[in-house]
Amino acid sequence: MIESILYYFNQTEVIKTIVTLGSMGLFFVGLFGLLSQRHIIKVFISIGIMEIAVFIFFIGLSFQRGLTAPMLGDAHTTFIQMNDPIPHAMILTAIVIGMAVLALGISFAIEYYKLTGKNRLDEMNEMKN
Amino acid sequence: MNIKRDISTNAISSFALSALFVLTLLSILLQHIPQKLSSAGDKLLEINAQEGVANAVTTVVVYFRGFDTLGEIAVLFIASFGIGLMLNFQVQNNQNKVKSNFMLQLGARLLFPIILLFGVYVMTYGHLSVGGGFQGGVIIASAVLLMLVSSNHFQLSHRIITLLETFAGVSYVLIGLIGLIVLDSFLGNFLPHSASQLGLLLSGGIVPIIYIIIGIKVGSEMSLIVQNMLQRSDND
Amino acid sequence: MIGVIILGTLMALIVIAFVAVIEPKLPDAIILSMGIGLGAVVLFVLFQAPDVALTEAVIGTGIGSLIYLMALKHLGERQ
Repeated sequence: MIESILYYFNQTEVIKTIVTLGSMGLFFVGLFGLLSQRHIIKVFISIGIMEIAVFIFFIGLSFQRGLTAPMLGDAHTTFIQMNDPIPHAMILTAIVIGMAVLALGISFAIEYYKLTGKNRLDEMNEMKN
Repeated sequence: MNIKRDISTNAISSFALSALFVLTLLSILLQHIPQKLSSAGDKLLEINAQEGVANAVTTVVVYFRGFDTLGEIAVLFIASFGIGLMLNFQVQNNQNKVKSNFMLQLGARLLFPIILLFGVYVMTYGHLSVGGGFQGGVIIASAVLLMLVSSNHFQLSHRIITLLETFAGVSYVLIGLIGLIVLDSFLGNFLPHSASQLGLLLSGGIVPIIYIIIGIKVGSEMSLIVQNMLQRSDND
Repeated sequence: MIGVIILGTLMALIVIAFVAVIEPKLPDAIILSMGIGLGAVVLFVLFQAPDVALTEAVIGTGIGSLIYLMALKHLGERQ
């Protein structure tokens, strides 16, 4: 009984469905935090959670069970039966750029706090009316 | 009583909006789950054996898609430039800083060269095993953060760091231009890269050289960002 | 075996993310966001992608969350 459940969860189709549902659930939590929280650092944390959800989704879809990591080692000496290296390279670039943009946004928030002393979104109404 | 009702209305409406959006996304995604994302990866793995590099992801990042990495370094440079404009760092007098704990000072002084050495190791062995320029550079920046937090007299000299960063950025483009002159393609591999040297330290042509240049640039930029953000304000 | 472990890690990650978003005290929320980065590293290792796992561990958990903590010193908490 347990072996049949384990075998059912090991197939590639079921793994891809689990990854889609799970990463979209994480995206939903991040979006809920972005829309409902008021402090500016909570907003940045929620954006970071949404980015991590998209990375997990992308790498989970390009994963085939049974193949190994795309690099040589002691056991593998030729480049056969390996996973795809192109999505890994794209996500590497995306992680670094995401961190750089968030750091720039936080420096804007620090400078605004030094000028006016407000750090919650419902008090930043300088441009209203 | 009225304020409590306002807060819960906000939470319920944001919950409903985000649930609606994610359910719309899911209804499209669950029907078209692809069997294989791309078929170019198999062809690249076959071509990779001629380059002499043991790590396929390094070849894709530095050699096959080297122009995208140049754009990514430009984005990092613009972000560091913006942070340097906003929070400009002034050399401050160290007399009104609180002295940190004795254990923290001693431990940081012991750990700082070890973390620095580990960062340089990860940077240099990027083409043989897991690692690379980005990872090694950020490890070096975290070692600098450790020393900045724990000691009062540690400051990075602004001129040397900007000199390193400029040298790294200019030499990346110069290597690309030399490849254009010698081989008729920007960022071409003009150093000898035979497949018989797979797994040795000097292999792969220009791939380890470019990764070390990327590591120097990322490390110095992140150190400047960290030093800018850690300054004390005037009323501390 | 791998499918069940992926399912368990994803469910734990969603619970930790929900607690991190709701939490009213800010230093606790930042440390919980470090836990999300750690869960993502475990998932990347299970998907046979060690380069991405090392990058996410160093950047997402190491420098990213430390930048949030440094900014918290400049900004105030609940005003």
